[in-house]
Amino acid sequence: MTAMARYNLEKQLNILEYALSSLWRRRMKSLSVLLVFGAVIFLLASFQMVTQALSDKARQVLAHTPEITLQKMSAGRQEGIPLAYRDKLAGIFGIRRVVPRIWGYYFDEVRLANYTVMGMAVDEMPEGARLDTALARGTMPGPAEQGRAVIGSSITNALDLAGRDTFSLFRPDLSLKSFVVIGEFSRDTDILTNDLIVMNLADARDLFGIPGGLVSDLCVYVANPTEIETIAKKISDALPSVRVLTRPQIQKTYQAVFGWRSGFGSICLLSALAAFVILAWDKASGLSPEERREIAILKVLGWETSDILAVRFWESVIVSGLACIIGMTAAYVHVVYGAASLFRPVLMGWSVLKPDLHLLPRLAGGDILLILAFTVIPYLAATVIPAWRSATVPADSALGG
Amino acid sequence: MTKSPSRWCSPCATAKRCVETMRPALRFAMFLCLLLALDGALFLDGLARRKAQDAALVKLEVAASGLGLTDLAVATEARYTRHPAVSDPVAPFMDHPGAIEHFPTGAFWLPPQR
Repeated sequence: MTAMARYNLEKQLNILEYALSSLWRRRMKSLSVLLVFGAVIFLLASFQMVTQALSDKARQVLAHTPEITLQKMSAGRQEGIPLAYRDKLAGIFGIRRVVPRIWGYYFDEVRLANYTVMGMAVDEMPEGARLDTALARGTMPGPAEQGRAVIGSSITNALDLAGRDTFSLFRPDLSLKSFVVIGEFSRDTDILTNDLIVMNLADARDLFGIPGGLVSDLCVYVANPTEIETIAKKISDALPSVRVLTRPQIQKTYQAVFGWRSGFGSICLLSALAAFVILAWDKASGLSPEERREIAILKVLGWETSDILAVRFWESVIVSGLACIIGMTAAYVHVVYGAASLFRPVLMGWSVLKPDLHLLPRLAGGDILLILAFTVIPYLAATVIPAWRSATVPADSALGG
Repeated sequence: MTKSPSRWCSPCATAKRCVETMRPALRFAMFLCLLLALDGALFLDGLARRKAQDAALVKLEVAASGLGLTDLAVATEARYTRHPAVSDPVAPFMDHPGAIEHFPTGAFWLPPQR
């Protein structure tokens, strides 16, 4: 190391120490800026981590949704789709399989909870034979097994099924239909199966009172996944009253659903921006008499303008860097260990059944850069003008005033 | 009230004196190292958790394809937040004409763009 480089390094180290002791001298003010700044970064980073972890999970899991889902629309609303439509689909080349499903929501008026009831012949679905591996205990109901159901983990708690395995649900005419629980989904699949009650098609038809010949939707599987769009178009042409949802459309929905443009995202972003505007305004709008005196004394002692700028720069880097590390670490702990408890009221609203999300954000360089761009860089920029203004204060006027 | 005499022989007091005579930059660097060590521990724990999640992902994939699931079961309060991908984008207005969104999760769940 040359003597010049060593001198410069030593000088910067001394300036850094001066900046540190200057921050320590005004420790209450520095600490309050650090806390507010850290809290803003915590809020932004938590939001970023929650949405990133959820959309990551959606991307991985929803790659296995039905390739095409068909729903019948009437007067702008979804209604039962006739099973006879399968005959019309038989003429479309490239369709491998069409599986009818009956599914809907069951509102439990005692617990004020919404259950999702699904009925289908699981052995006709892809991977249907392996579904037992997704269960914590038991087996899936076969097509001939009447009154048998597999339930999600929240249903066990909601219906208080710890010591028994039978429960009853009301049909539309208020008569009771009984079920025997023959399996329970693993807690690992909570994010998909938390509120599910799965039974065979005949039981679901009986429970909801859906007339024979009608189902809720048809899942269409194609022979060649690259032909999904072409076959979807052929189906729309053949059945104009049917809404055709393709797998890429469903995946796209989930990539957009957790966007920064969602209402909650905007609130996080706006509050962060408001905090920065106030901070920048405070920084840029002028110097306190104490700060003017300090700069004047330093200049009298022989400090150059560039040294004072360096002190201010180091102060900003220390405050914003520390706030960034503390804020992001706290956000990670909040999302992973605290299960995003601050966001749960917004994420789940008035839901009675709440899944264990097991969120694990995959923090990439891009995400960290995004948070830095929203927080640290505006702060550093906001300190440039006052630093320059403070460094050019004439020493005599500051001391004399 | 008299101040109790300092016990210079105790390890705590020696450490305190040591910190007091330390340069501020060194103290700051030590604090920074502490934070980074905490982050390192969190990272290592994250790697272990990632392994467990990858094992659970197989079960999730089987459930999604075996039942033809289209949505995540996060918000179960309204049908358009339970199943945003397959429900009507105008669902809030279906309760009655001119109805406004009233479920809290409607603020978080951006309506699907089709």
